[in-house]
Amino acid sequence: MSDQVEPADAARALSEIGRRREQVIRRKVFPGWFWWAQAVLTVALTAAIESQRGVLIGIGITLFAAGSLVINVPVSRAARAAPPHRSLASQPGSARKTLLGLATFMVVLLGVALATGLSLGAAGVPYPGTIAAAVASVVFAVGGPMGVRAEQAMLVRRAGSQG
Amino acid sequence: MITPRFDELIHAPTRLSLVAFLAATGWADFAVLRDSVGLSDSALSKQLTTLEHAGYVEIRKAFVGKRPRTSARLTADGRTAFDRHVLALQEIVARAGGSVVPSSRSSDKAME
Repeated sequence: MSDQVEPADAARALSEIGRRREQVIRRKVFPGWFWWAQAVLTVALTAAIESQRGVLIGIGITLFAAGSLVINVPVSRAARAAPPHRSLASQPGSARKTLLGLATFMVVLLGVALATGLSLGAAGVPYPGTIAAAVASVVFAVGGPMGVRAEQAMLVRRAGSQG
Repeated sequence: MITPRFDELIHAPTRLSLVAFLAATGWADFAVLRDSVGLSDSALSKQLTTLEHAGYVEIRKAFVGKRPRTSARLTADGRTAFDRHVLALQEIVARAGGSVVPSSRSSDKAME
């Protein structure tokens, strides 16, 4: 039967296989609103803590915990619906690059928050922690989706180079 | 060592798309498969049943709360058959002197 298959047909089939693999890797797991919702929760928690009022801190922590759980439900559901096969996710070096990228992102967020908060605090601006959290949260909400896309692009490149 | 073997069952266009998607995942939800491959519920059921009868696909039915949830994944035999089929396709292309690396369409908006 394979002798009856035209090379062009075989190439089309291989292209389709590559396209489906890429489709799995690039499948959207994080909805666009997820990043902003997490950012809002973080700012609200920081504002509650910075208020230094016990009741507000309690409410802030409760809201943050409950809100984080709620917004993570659709994400974990989407992630479980069609997770990339381990052969795609565990290519040599990909885990290290992912962890490195994640750690870099965390350091940038922390750096932005600390630099902003300390600068504002030194300048006597009220609520420096909340403002710093807001700035870092915007970086998180903008940079998060970019990081996910970069990770997907890396996996697609590696999967493609393996044929 | 996997040897090339052209598989007519897998090569049919709709099943090729379906098996290629499954090969890149673990368990995949019925709804995700249907939307990703662009099939109706009945067409997808029919293809999955065909693949299940061939021993290539395993189907799992569960309930999440009160909602039924169907998932599918390639069996070990299905994965081996797919790998052998890919090798056979690569061989055909290589014999013709072409590239065996499929072109990737990185900006396919339908994938989103």
